Amino acid sequence: MKQQTIESISVGDQLPVLHKSADEAQLFLYSAASFNPHRIHYDRTYAEFEGHTDIIVHGPLQGSWLTQFVTDWAGPASRLLNITWQNRASALVGENLEFHGSVTEVNQTERTALLSLEERNKSGAILMPATALIKLPSENTLK
Amino acid sequence: MSTSLIPPESLARIGEILYGPITVAINEREAQRYALAVGDENPIYFDESAAKAAGYKTITVPPTFVTHAMVIPKPLSTLRTDGLYRDGTGVRLEVARMMFGGEEWDFLEPVYIGDEITATARLAALDQKSGSKGPFVRQVRETTFVNQEMTTVARSRQIGIAR
Repeated sequence: MKQQTIESISVGDQLPVLHKSADEAQLFLYSAASFNPHRIHYDRTYAEFEGHTDIIVHGPLQGSWLTQFVTDWAGPASRLLNITWQNRASALVGENLEFHGSVTEVNQTERTALLSLEERNKSGAILMPATALIKLPSENTLK
Repeated sequence: MSTSLIPPESLARIGEILYGPITVAINEREAQRYALAVGDENPIYFDESAAKAAGYKTITVPPTFVTHAMVIPKPLSTLRTDGLYRDGTGVRLEVARMMFGGEEWDFLEPVYIGDEITATARLAALDQKSGSKGPFVRQVRETTFVNQEMTTVARSRQIGIAR
């Protein structure tokens, strides 16, 4: 995996876009792995009864996609210190989702970077705006 | 002036423990099932040498997994029609529906396979606000995760929006 360092990043850097789409099997596995029996994540008829247009993707799954988006880009020797997201709109089963992000602040002394993140659907609507704070290694400590 | 959506007895619960402290061992297989269900195959969650090369003591877990590790097993008879468990920790509000508003996480120290993590959740805040769709309540549930060395490893604040 690629490793970012405090020297390799600058304000304005864009993270490579992460694409995600969860089918019924993945949502089922996520319900099982998180021991979440909520019907809106597997029962289409019930989800529609609650006013959703289809089975909806778990909020915490999208949260974990956000952390993956950051850690895949930052590399294994970086540390995620904070992530904050807002649930603005639901993501649906099978929907093509994109994660976009950029570096908004770099603190050389603390070796930290603040990132601005967005989960968007195909029509460009922002489903989850988020921020993340990461700590990065220095080139000369990595060797 | 709209009427209060927060009954006085609920307001009095601010600061109260909603669940915990409960202690759970971080299990390798459960953590890896979680990572794979997310589609996150980062080697630091699967391979001890990769985790050590990245500066971890041993295999670590996806950042927010710690909250899912804490889920208390309950019998089927406690399921409601929407599939959720009946839960005694809910805070009574004069609203139709509670929705997830978002989450804030601080990750202070890594969580490792085999750690014994103790979680305690508190009702941190309950505020009535007015929005474009009328009044709503913002509820903050803060959970603190502490390891076997009494080090706080993570803190989460789950924001609920009720209207």
